[in-house]
Amino acid sequence: MTGLPEAGFVGLSAALVAVGLFGILTRRNFVLLLIAIEIAMNAAILNFVYFAAFAPTPGEGLAGQAAAVVLVGFAATEVAVGLAIVLALNRAKGTINVAEATELRL
Amino acid sequence: MVLGLLIGIGEGFSPGRTTNVQILWLHLPPSAQFPNGFSLVMGTLVDPLSALVLMVVTVVGFLVLLYSIGYMHQDRGLARYYAELSLFLASMSALVVANNLLEFFLFWELVGVCSYFLIGFYYEKPSAASAAKEAFLVTRVGDVMFLLGIFLYFYLYAAAGPAGLGGWAANGFVFVHNGQPFLAGATSSSTLATVAGLMILGGAAGKSAQFPLHVWLPDAMEGPTTVSALIHAATMVAAGVYLLAVTSVFLGFTSFDQLVIVAIGGFTAFFAATMAVVHPDIKRVIAYSTISQLGYMVLAVGAGFTAVGLYHLFTHAFFKALLFLAAGSVIHAVGTQDLFKMGGLRRSMRLTSVAFAVGGLALAGIPPFAGFWSKDDILASVYSQLGAHPLYWPFFLLAFAAVFLTAYYIFRAWFLAFSGSGPRDPSLPHAHEGPWTMQVPLVVLSVLAAGAGMFAFLPGFANLLERGPGIPPHFGTTEILLSGASLALAVGGIALAWALWGNGRVYALPASSPAQAVRRLLLERYYFKAAYDWIGARGVNTVARAADFFDVYVIDGVVHGFEGAFGGLSDRLRRIQSGVVSDYASYLVAGLIGVFALLLLIAPFLLARVGGG
Amino acid sequence: MIGLATIAFAVLAGVAVLTAVAALLVRELVHTILWIALFFVDLSAIYFLLEAPFLGVLQLGVYAGAVTVLLLFGIMVTRKRIFSREAATGLGPAPVALALLTFVFVVAAVGELPSGPSALQVYAPSDLSAALFGTYGPWVLILGIIMLTSVSGAIYLVREGRE
Repeated sequence: MTGLPEAGFVGLSAALVAVGLFGILTRRNFVLLLIAIEIAMNAAILNFVYFAAFAPTPGEGLAGQAAAVVLVGFAATEVAVGLAIVLALNRAKGTINVAEATELRL
Repeated sequence: MVLGLLIGIGEGFSPGRTTNVQILWLHLPPSAQFPNGFSLVMGTLVDPLSALVLMVVTVVGFLVLLYSIGYMHQDRGLARYYAELSLFLASMSALVVANNLLEFFLFWELVGVCSYFLIGFYYEKPSAASAAKEAFLVTRVGDVMFLLGIFLYFYLYAAAGPAGLGGWAANGFVFVHNGQPFLAGATSSSTLATVAGLMILGGAAGKSAQFPLHVWLPDAMEGPTTVSALIHAATMVAAGVYLLAVTSVFLGFTSFDQLVIVAIGGFTAFFAATMAVVHPDIKRVIAYSTISQLGYMVLAVGAGFTAVGLYHLFTHAFFKALLFLAAGSVIHAVGTQDLFKMGGLRRSMRLTSVAFAVGGLALAGIPPFAGFWSKDDILASVYSQLGAHPLYWPFFLLAFAAVFLTAYYIFRAWFLAFSGSGPRDPSLPHAHEGPWTMQVPLVVLSVLAAGAGMFAFLPGFANLLERGPGIPPHFGTTEILLSGASLALAVGGIALAWALWGNGRVYALPASSPAQAVRRLLLERYYFKAAYDWIGARGVNTVARAADFFDVYVIDGVVHGFEGAFGGLSDRLRRIQSGVVSDYASYLVAGLIGVFALLLLIAPFLLARVGGG
Repeated sequence: MIGLATIAFAVLAGVAVLTAVAALLVRELVHTILWIALFFVDLSAIYFLLEAPFLGVLQLGVYAGAVTVLLLFGIMVTRKRIFSREAATGLGPAPVALALLTFVFVVAAVGELPSGPSALQVYAPSDLSAALFGTYGPWVLILGIIMLTSVSGAIYLVREGRE
């Protein structure tokens, strides 16, 4: 069962990263920001799974899948922390618009 | 203080014992210069030499602290005063017991900086602030020479030392090992060793205010009198002498070095005494006298009589501290330092007048007071060495002549301040003795100043002095003649002082006589200060002006140019700092793309151009 | 010849990109959640297509399940603004250009990778679990530590009575 195009997978993950970046750069809502980050993250996981499936040796393939599993865990953690930030931001400023959290400015 | 005394007494009764405790501070691995590594150690070395000085430091330090309670009670900044004084005492004690050259230098600098702080204690007063700066800068000249001397010694002797120990550098430049000088037998008489010795002498001259670095000590009298007593009479200035003693015992001087030391000591003893003759300020008279007495000590150490020099250091510390504290008592009572405004204080301040007189007698060298024994020891010792070098003669004579001047100026001060019927300046407040905290130190120091000279006859104390060539016999014919001569000179000086100033008389020099010119020369301190000022004002100013021009037009031009450019740039860059996370993310991504571009487009292009493929 | 798998992949890939874009662009936040859930499910299907069933299930469970619920929860807690698309900024040229450039460069970078797909490898979930708890045990441990600290941090951030 072959015929899955390499260029297609790479293109897909590149496209998803680009979409995620686009979201990160343009959205001002913190929840949307998180979603955009998740999209970009999924692109990375997809890459791991894809290259694991076509790895030269079983060991390397398993390494790729294991990395994918760990990454899923990281992504879930990151969402949890991100949402905690959303709640804290909402409580502190009454908004979840990141453009209004400008304390970093000099 | 008790500890210091115990150490001193303990040392005295166990002759020749040295206690050397040290910890390794840092060890550097072997290198090309130091094949056995390089160590820094911190340690204490208590031997007769340091025990003697340690007793002085602790006893005088304690008495001065006690005295300060009464003397300083009206001053602001008492916490600062005691903090600085305590730091000084700690540093001085550590300096005395330091067991290696680097540690010695460390605490040497610490006492220097304490001296700076305390001279400038009344920092609101411009003269005090500038005196502090002057003292710091002048001693700095000496300190730099000392440091150079240390470097030279390191260079010369890094590998020397007893066999099997790996050399001086590997052992942290310690002074002694198993009770013997570490470098025993290793010292050379090369030109470099001579230069190193001269550098050490420079350091000692800076600290002990020897010619030509003497100018700072009289000005240091701007500090509180207690500070003058402790630091600028009894202890810190004696550190220079102590340095010479330590160096001569543990490192050794070459014969040329010794000649130079003798020359400087003998000359300074006379030179400073002449300036004390005319000065109207009670503290400065004593300051010049300190310089002069330090000259005696330097003379003795230079002639090879370390023990005799330190003996004088010991007695001098007591009677000079006594003189300063008595002077402080007077100043405390009448609020001026001008001798010509005082007078008749004998009636209202009996204890102080007696104390000052005891100090004066000790300083002048009248038996049985302390100064007689140690000063005559010095003269007799140097006399016995006169055969060593023909050039010793003139300096011996200068030192001898200084005996007369010493007796004269100190009793001139006494008669001016204490004799007569009342103050010459009627506006002075009614004088009275200070509180008991000021009186007790005066009494104790009076006893010490009167009796310290005879300590040499105590069996234990004599042991302290055994290091180096011993005290010459007191009872040879020559020595008795010598003592008699110096005693005659001293009595003559006192008699002259009485004739001119006794009973409230004021002797006025006839105007426009040659003597006036001399007096003026002395008051202006042989124009040394003026010359240094001139060097500072003209020489340094010219250089500074050129540097300033360069600074303003070249360096500042460049700097301002940069500043303008970056100011404009940063003004624009500042707007980037919006604080909005998305914007920051954009910059991040832009940077990422930049890296991509570099890797994928520019790098292959460049590689193709250089043909690296 | 275009195989069935290729067609399936093309469809799934198209859906993935579309749902991702839609999730970011729709006006209602709740619709966003729907779209992103669809996106996650779509990716899960791709994993099954790649013969990685364990990861597919994981994707369904963690992402389509847990993360989606978490995001929904986040939106509900900040209820005040729940149906408004606050400060939905317009499409400035710079972010779009940056995203497109990234796409181009990532694709270009892949051209540099040494590759050449061989036959599709199939791994049983039991093999994967053996690898995870054998060779890659430290990764799992580190993941556990990071999760623990993150959860502590999250609790610290949202606990009551701060400020």
